[in-house]
Amino acid sequence: MTLPDRTVLDSGAVLVSQAFPSNPFVAFRGSVPAGMAAEGDAHGVAEFMTRLLLSGTRRRSAAKLSDRLEGIGSTLEFRNGEEILGFQGRCTRETAAETIRLLVECLSEPLFPAKEVERVRGEIRNDLRIESDDTRHRASRELGRLVFPRDHPYGRDPKGSEPQITRIRRSDIVAFHEANVAPEGLILALAGDMDRAFLDEAVANPLSRLRGNGRGHAAVPEPPSHRPRALWIPMPHKSQADIAIGALAVSRRHDDYYALHLANLLFGRIGLYGRLGKNLRDDQGLAYYVFSGLEARTAGGMWTIAAGVNPSNIPQAIRSIRAEMDRLRRDPLTSAEIRDGKDNQMGSLVVSLERNAELATELHRMEYYGLGMDFLERFPDIVEGLKEERVRSVSQKYFDAGASSMVVAGPVGRTRVAL
Amino acid sequence: MATHVESLDNGLKVILRPIPEARALSTWVTYRIGSRNERPGMTGSTHWVEHMLFKGGGKLAKGEIDRLISRLGGKFNAFTDTDYTIYFETTPASALDTALMIEAERMRNAAFDPKEVEAERTVVISEREGAENQPEFLVEEELWGLGFHVHPYHWTAIGYKQDLAKLSRDPLYAHYLRYYAPNNAALILVGGFDPAVAMQRIREAFGPLKPEAPPDPMTLVEPEQRGERRAELSRPGAADLLSMGWHIPPATDGDAPAILVLATILGGWRGFLPYLAGDWQPRSNRLYRALVETKLATDVGVRHETKIDPSLLIANATLAGGASLDRVEAVLDREVAALKKTPPRKGELDRAKQQVRSWSRYEQDGVTYQGMLLSVSEGLASWDFTGGLFAKALRIRPEQVREAARRYLVDEHRSVVRFHHEEVAA
Repeated sequence: MTLPDRTVLDSGAVLVSQAFPSNPFVAFRGSVPAGMAAEGDAHGVAEFMTRLLLSGTRRRSAAKLSDRLEGIGSTLEFRNGEEILGFQGRCTRETAAETIRLLVECLSEPLFPAKEVERVRGEIRNDLRIESDDTRHRASRELGRLVFPRDHPYGRDPKGSEPQITRIRRSDIVAFHEANVAPEGLILALAGDMDRAFLDEAVANPLSRLRGNGRGHAAVPEPPSHRPRALWIPMPHKSQADIAIGALAVSRRHDDYYALHLANLLFGRIGLYGRLGKNLRDDQGLAYYVFSGLEARTAGGMWTIAAGVNPSNIPQAIRSIRAEMDRLRRDPLTSAEIRDGKDNQMGSLVVSLERNAELATELHRMEYYGLGMDFLERFPDIVEGLKEERVRSVSQKYFDAGASSMVVAGPVGRTRVAL
Repeated sequence: MATHVESLDNGLKVILRPIPEARALSTWVTYRIGSRNERPGMTGSTHWVEHMLFKGGGKLAKGEIDRLISRLGGKFNAFTDTDYTIYFETTPASALDTALMIEAERMRNAAFDPKEVEAERTVVISEREGAENQPEFLVEEELWGLGFHVHPYHWTAIGYKQDLAKLSRDPLYAHYLRYYAPNNAALILVGGFDPAVAMQRIREAFGPLKPEAPPDPMTLVEPEQRGERRAELSRPGAADLLSMGWHIPPATDGDAPAILVLATILGGWRGFLPYLAGDWQPRSNRLYRALVETKLATDVGVRHETKIDPSLLIANATLAGGASLDRVEAVLDREVAALKKTPPRKGELDRAKQQVRSWSRYEQDGVTYQGMLLSVSEGLASWDFTGGLFAKALRIRPEQVREAARRYLVDEHRSVVRFHHEEVAA
């Protein structure tokens, strides 16, 4: 596999790309450091701005923008994240130049029309209501609040609260945009049907027109240790309860990251969800889904367990999850399990990067976290070099029931069970 | 892309799409069995059978499919639809033999251990209960129930909970033996392999499998709907929902391309497969303009449900806070009436076609999605069905869109479900 191409434009923007000729189009993923971390106390403003970027520019209305974008068959989406304003899309080789021009136009010249501001305000309010009625979302969101300190960008709702949404004015959105969206810190990763000339003409050229005076990266405070808590959210009108368990983990560049990534795979991800899935789903039939996750960002991270269960099975499911966490100490990950996990991670380099969209996402991640353009080549050695004892000790250190918080949302009745 | 098709003596259809530079291989098997083949009292059995086919049998011990694929870094899954059931694994290209062995064993040798069947009962019920947590699922289930009184599209593939609670092992196993046979299946390979070598391996793995008697042809025909059908659901929730479904002809009908374009003009195009688009929300379509831009709805969508038998064209809206269902329905009616009255302008039609054209490339994103598209197409009609459908859609004229609207978007042939959300105590 040839190394990805990396170019730093005069504006400071970084372009990363890899040709994938058998997939006959181009997928792109990108970001600027204008996510929740840059909001300060104006919680919700990043989400608000993100949703308005397709709502019209100084050159064309929202309708004309979508007519043009969809008229060439391209897609373009903006997403608010904890650290970044992300964007992604698809286009063909023929429509790439215009698609990137439209991306630049949306980023650098948004109009934020007053009518659209009010429409988006209603949309966010509706989403807040809908998500508060969703057991899985509710459990996951509240777990983030328990694990991270109050108002930390990794733990709070990106949409803000209803009162915060009500308070945001158009001028706040304009100010946030002017202060944060700029070529400085921009990353654009592309994969698919491309070559060097295409990149220069269709991508670098229009991207170099991006203007702005953003201040670049906003530092995220490292989250301090958390005090484990439990929260039960009664939602009696639902059929199923969602259990979310988790605790602080590590940043993407932390020394424990790769060992924890492998431990997490074996604990609740591999195949039909690792040890957790084998016990709760396969052997006991307690849940359709039960799995673990690991989110590692610049300043820290969180590991989680998610399970959806019938209300009568809540106590048994929690006991079984606890038993699996304890088993990591009593019956540590075996050499065979660790070998399977390593083989899975190395094999997945082929399987998980077979799509343009997946490859573009990985290229973006490599640049964002400073992993180096040779990361995919080095990855097998990193995995192979992990000592078994390290993987076991990391699994015991982080998947610690006594140090974990838990949220249960759904028809919980009077059930209350400690983890 | 070159696609090679042939059949084994036992009736297994083999579809090979070699991509020499691909390092991955995606192996798919489509069975021509879905919830349309079920009967009342056994709803959800096809989906339950799908779950059982991950639990070993023959050369495969319980959990071995999982272990074999996972060690390779592969991914695997299965989907049960109303019309077909599909299994796949994507692996490094070197794992051709492993993938073929798994699928050959799965085709005839699944164990259906009674203890495992029982353990899986609560898993499929849990899957259904997770869906029930979403008001959109309840609306969808109600809509198909209204639209079809005779045909098995009346129920969704997950089945009814009361059936899942009482189904026993033997009918499930009989269902498996009846429909999981080479002459009721197609094997699809996409990725890095040599076609001659692959065919040799396929003959070795699948050639010995015995065919079954062909499945009975579908005899249940939905009678013409005589008058609009409605349901008003009032339940706890966060937003009002509107769903409207009109009867449309089968996927292979000559009008299907015009209906596809009609659906795109009305609600935008997000690709043929429901998985790839993610959160992409087209905004240049008529319903987005009429309902979302005007703050009556926060989300709209139109789905052309392409199926083997006559099906539904479905329009959905999630209402904005304060908007009324009557108002949203009236606006939707107005947009439908406009489509019936005047053919779309050339620019609008060209935009719809360009979306279909571009997405036909986006859906070639890697060996897995190519395999999925070929498998779904084969489950509906033939591996090249979607390619043909898209090509015909690109030739549709404005007048044909109006004609399709007049013929199918008929009030007497529609079903309407309105979900009135009841406030939930904080």
